[in-house]
Amino acid sequence: MFAEYLPVFLLLLVAVGVAIFMFTMASLAGPKNMTPEKAIPYEAGSNTTGARHIRLSIKFYLTAILFVVFDIEAVFLYPWAAMFRRLGWQGLIEMVLFLAVLGVTLVYAWRKGALEWEK
Amino acid sequence: MSVWMLVSPLLMLGLGGLLVMLVDAFVDEKAELPILTAILLAVAGGVAAAGIVNYDNVALAGAPEYLTRYLAFDRFALFFDVVVCGGAALSALLAGGYLREHDLERGEFYILIIYAALGAMVLGHAIDLLTIFIGLETMSLGAYAMVAFRRTSARAVEGAVKYFLLGSFAAAILLFGSALLYGATGHTDLAGIGEAIEGGNASIKLVLMAMFMMIVGLAFKVSAVPFHMWTPDAYEGAVTPATTFMSVAVKSAAFAVMVRVLLTVFGDDLSASAASGWPPVIAGLAAITMVYGNLAAIGQSSVKRMLAYSSVAHAGYAMVGVVAAFRVEEIAVSSVLFYLMAYTVGNVLTFGALIWFGSNGREAVSYEDLAGAGRRHPLVALPFVIGVLTLMGFPPTAGFFAKYYVFNAAVQAGGGMIWLAIIGVLSSAVGAYYYLRVIVFLFMKEPQPGAPIAIPMRSGYVAFVMIIAGYFVMKMGITPGPYLDLAMSAAEQFVS
Repeated sequence: MFAEYLPVFLLLLVAVGVAIFMFTMASLAGPKNMTPEKAIPYEAGSNTTGARHIRLSIKFYLTAILFVVFDIEAVFLYPWAAMFRRLGWQGLIEMVLFLAVLGVTLVYAWRKGALEWEK
Repeated sequence: MSVWMLVSPLLMLGLGGLLVMLVDAFVDEKAELPILTAILLAVAGGVAAAGIVNYDNVALAGAPEYLTRYLAFDRFALFFDVVVCGGAALSALLAGGYLREHDLERGEFYILIIYAALGAMVLGHAIDLLTIFIGLETMSLGAYAMVAFRRTSARAVEGAVKYFLLGSFAAAILLFGSALLYGATGHTDLAGIGEAIEGGNASIKLVLMAMFMMIVGLAFKVSAVPFHMWTPDAYEGAVTPATTFMSVAVKSAAFAVMVRVLLTVFGDDLSASAASGWPPVIAGLAAITMVYGNLAAIGQSSVKRMLAYSSVAHAGYAMVGVVAAFRVEEIAVSSVLFYLMAYTVGNVLTFGALIWFGSNGREAVSYEDLAGAGRRHPLVALPFVIGVLTLMGFPPTAGFFAKYYVFNAAVQAGGGMIWLAIIGVLSSAVGAYYYLRVIVFLFMKEPQPGAPIAIPMRSGYVAFVMIIAGYFVMKMGITPGPYLDLAMSAAEQFVS
């Protein structure tokens, strides 16, 4: 069993070896003359301005989450619709319960103002 | 009686959570939510308790298969329903006082607490790898959001991110272990897996790997050393009622799964032997958890952080009982159950007392904040004193008998377990130092000149919780008999 995987291990060794070789050679043989410009994270372009943390509006997240929730609902509806006759009354009741739960959450989201973009 | 009585606590929380959502959305006055949530949880817990008492009259045979395949409705599960609902109801009432006093009052907290409690209860009932994972995720998602509840505080967000990342990682490891178990045995139900392993139809290598992965995942949830790194930060960053909930309900539910998985799945002679298998692993974890938790708690200057490390140490004590279950099932499992029950009321009492000493947006967090407060408000300090005494294991409180039963179970199991009991007794003696320090600061120290003195909040909710929790702490400490009988009856099913 081990012999089958030997080429994989060899490849792994070669990959690690090449990476180590390249880094060590670069730090041993490469020229080093540090200037302040080279020490900053981005050498090119203009200086950065403004705060590091940009506050994004929470509305994007709310919309995305609501989309995922109701997308999943649609995903569940498809197989149920395809099997509607075989699942019968029990399937219908289960689906109505599922939709009722999601309906309550939709009412909640609506009342809390999650559906309004501008308030 | 029908089996639906035993199912109804779960259904009540599921539907009741929706009700609380609607009330939160349509009623502008928020005042009713803590009471509504607490009543809902208390009724669910009460029904579960009635289910335990009348268990023999329930017609379990006629239960529909879609229920009993994935969830067990045994006394063990109902016991955890009661513990989780009780802890959650008291935490919700504490939140009613705390959130209002510190201007954090938002209805989401109560919805999160209900659904996290529902997840914790599902964990107690789960007898299938699928329901274990669903319960774990439902519980954890609620807990993550509750830690981040004070979203403007960098410390809360830090704690929540740590908890979330490490928690997802641990859940993934648990899931990997479940997948290996399924791969090795072809079953997802715990009993089926256990039989397959017992019958020798599973690759022992896969089973051992799966066992270690599941132990790692669960040890994270009970915050055992070395998987405790998230605990101090998450407990300190969270709003204190959320800390209370996490330290009682989340931890109890994780212990429920741990006991059930270890005894049902890995109950065969090889996996449960004292030489190989899980007993030495859990014993090692328990020993380092007790020692490290107590030593790390000594160095803390924040009472909240000290209580976080104390909760780590308490996980270690309860794990002593879990280990002993490989030889003396009934004594050991019942000692763990009693421990969790006593720890729940004791921890609610202590955290509640800490909450009580904060008012008007100024929380009592460090020892210095409490200096001299006990002498000025002796009635408010009384629950704090009882709380730290029970966590310390001082008679006649619930904590004393809890520790006694756990260590007794270890001694009964004999062999190397006696050493575990000795380590436990020694490390709880170390614990006395930092618990008593709270009392010293409350009564014997004076605040630094110019430093503000803690003023207790005026809240009927918090006072009520203190009375209830204090009553049970003393009741379990003076007459532990009925509670131990309850734990015994819940542990009976694990006797092989």
